[in-house]
Amino acid sequence: MAISAEAHATPSIPAGKMGVWWFLASEIMLFGGLISSFIVFRLGSAGWAGEAAHLSVPIAAVNTLVLLTSSLTMVQAFAMAERGDQRRLRNYLALTILLGLTFLGIKAYEYTSEIREGFTPGTGIFWSFYYTMTGLHALHVLAGAIVNFSLYVLVGGSLRNSHRVELAGLYWHFVDIVWIFLFPLVYLT
Amino acid sequence: MASHGVRPNYLAIWGWLVALMFVGLAASFLPGTRALAVALIFATAVVKALLVVLNYMHLKFEPRLIYAIAIVPLLFVLVLLVALFPDFVFHH
Repeated sequence: MAISAEAHATPSIPAGKMGVWWFLASEIMLFGGLISSFIVFRLGSAGWAGEAAHLSVPIAAVNTLVLLTSSLTMVQAFAMAERGDQRRLRNYLALTILLGLTFLGIKAYEYTSEIREGFTPGTGIFWSFYYTMTGLHALHVLAGAIVNFSLYVLVGGSLRNSHRVELAGLYWHFVDIVWIFLFPLVYLT
Repeated sequence: MASHGVRPNYLAIWGWLVALMFVGLAASFLPGTRALAVALIFATAVVKALLVVLNYMHLKFEPRLIYAIAIVPLLFVLVLLVALFPDFVFHH
C-alpha cells in the first residue's frame, strides 16, 4: 500500500508543545473550577465586599505589574533562544526568575500582615477562597520559577534544548493570565 | 525551531497590558453603577488575557488544534459556572 507524498502535507505540532497545551487545558479546568465556585458563592450571598476591603489593592497592583513584566522578560528570553543569543537568553531567564521570586515575596508579606490582623483561612468563606486561590496560584509561580531556573542552568551549556524555553514560557504566561483574572476578581470587585 | 517570520512587538504588548491594568483600577473608582464598573473591570481582564494568549503564547500563529485545546476547557468552565447558578445564586 503506497502512502502518497501529500499525506502529511500539514506540519505536525511538536510533541512538547502539544503536551504543554494539554497540561494547560487541565489547568484551565482547575483554576476555572475554583474561580467559578468563588463567583457563584459571591453572587449567592451578600456582604463579601466588606471582607475584601481588608486586602491591599496597591500591593496587589504592584504584584500584577511584577507578573506582567515577568511575562515580557519570559517572551524576550524565547526571542533570544530563537536567535541563538545565549547570553541574553540567560539574562532574560534570570530576570524572569527574579520577578517571580519578587511576586512570591510580596505575597508572603501580604499573607503575614493579613494573618497578623487575624484573617486566617478559617476566618470565613471569603478568606478560605482567598487563601486557596492565591495560594494555589503562588505554588504555580514557585513551580514555574524552579523550572525556569533549571532551564537557566541547562542553557548555560549548549543551546541544543533551547526550544524548551518556549514551552516553559507557555506555562509562565498561563500563570500570568490566571493572576490577570484573580486580581480583579478578589481585590477589585 | 521553525521561524514564523514576523513576531509581535512584545514591548508594545506589555505597554498595553500595563495601560489596561490602570484602566481596570480606575474603573473600580468610577462613579455610576456597580454593574458597569464590574463589567469594565472584567472586559479589561479579558482583553489583557487575549493579548497574552495571542501574542506571548503565540496562539495567533498556531494551528487550529491548539486553539481547540485552549478554547474547549474554557467552554466547559462556563458551562460549570452557569450550571451552578440555580443552586447557589437563585437559592435552590
